[in-house]
Amino acid sequence: MAEALKGHLDSLILAVLATAPAHGYAIIEELKLRSRGVFSLPEGTVYPALHRLERAGLLASGWSDASGRRRRVYRLTRRGRRRLDASKSEWHDFARAVDAVLA
Amino acid sequence: MNYLEELSRELAAHGIGGRTRRRILLEANDHLRSDAAAQERFGSAREVANSFAAELGAQASRRAAVSAFAALGVAGAVYAGSFVSLGFAGPPSETLAPALGALAFAVIIVAPQVAFVAGVLALARALRGRHARTIPTRELIVIRRRTGVALLFGLLTMGALSLYAYEFRSVLPGWWLTLTYTSTAGASVLLALAATPALAASRVRPQVAGDAGDVLADVGVARFGDDPWRFARLIAVAVGLLVWLAAAVRGDPFDGLIQGVFEGLACFGGFAVFGRYLGLRR
Repeated sequence: MAEALKGHLDSLILAVLATAPAHGYAIIEELKLRSRGVFSLPEGTVYPALHRLERAGLLASGWSDASGRRRRVYRLTRRGRRRLDASKSEWHDFARAVDAVLA
Repeated sequence: MNYLEELSRELAAHGIGGRTRRRILLEANDHLRSDAAAQERFGSAREVANSFAAELGAQASRRAAVSAFAALGVAGAVYAGSFVSLGFAGPPSETLAPALGALAFAVIIVAPQVAFVAGVLALARALRGRHARTIPTRELIVIRRRTGVALLFGLLTMGALSLYAYEFRSVLPGWWLTLTYTSTAGASVLLALAATPALAASRVRPQVAGDAGDVLADVGVARFGDDPWRFARLIAVAVGLLVWLAAAVRGDPFDGLIQGVFEGLACFGGFAVFGRYLGLRR
């Protein structure tokens, strides 16, 4: 599951951040929550993806000080939103095709 | 040594330093403070550092290859412009004297070809895996070497053009000298700027298993089986024929034949000498 998940990690991160900006820990928690505990990656692997997505211009980030803690908060850029829309469309096409075959 | 100290050491060992390392450590620290049990799920410090190096290294190397190719494009335009305008300026009748001028002329002929081939191959390999999050370490090294060679020979070409202009300054018109000095200086600055991300990318050292492939992986041609030498021979013959044909069209088939044989041999020789270093053969 972890290997399969890595192939879709970018889209999943973008989807989580489409709802609201969040810091790394919150993104991982939200991923677990939305997948009902199925998507559980080694947590350290999410941060490299966040850095890479930011360098690719799909995310932006900044420090925020909340209750005495300094946290890096990530948000989706316009380019990231476009990428997410494209990923969703590709995924729906793929899932429909697999469903059609399996059915 | 606690986890964050270990992570800091591993990041440094993987070539990640400065602001990036500080930021990673701050984020990891915040994450581990959010949940006391998170350290177990975080992964070992070595794995996390290697993930950063693999993802950021692949991205940086791809970008360096694209930047290098863009800078080489400008250098190529300067090179072509200098040659075309030299026709209007009136080329020196004797290109073998002075000696430095002859050396510059030789570099002007050979270096841009190496730069172009290395740049195209670096770009091809960078674009081939552009959707992959990581690239095998061996392939990453190939991309970096190709990018470095392309930039080095691009800079050599610009330097040689300037030297050529300087050595023949007494017989070439002032406008051509000014044009060549300024355009080669501008292109050299661009090439040097493109070298900065390439150097930064080369510091990142991930460990990702996998093969680098050879020139057949670059061109994606299956019909040559697994023999890159066969492909190299074909390309050398094709290049030689093209040079000869171009000369024949200009009405100089005999000189063209000599040039064509020289180009074909140089092409095959380049493959034999640099092939392994540039990942063209195993």
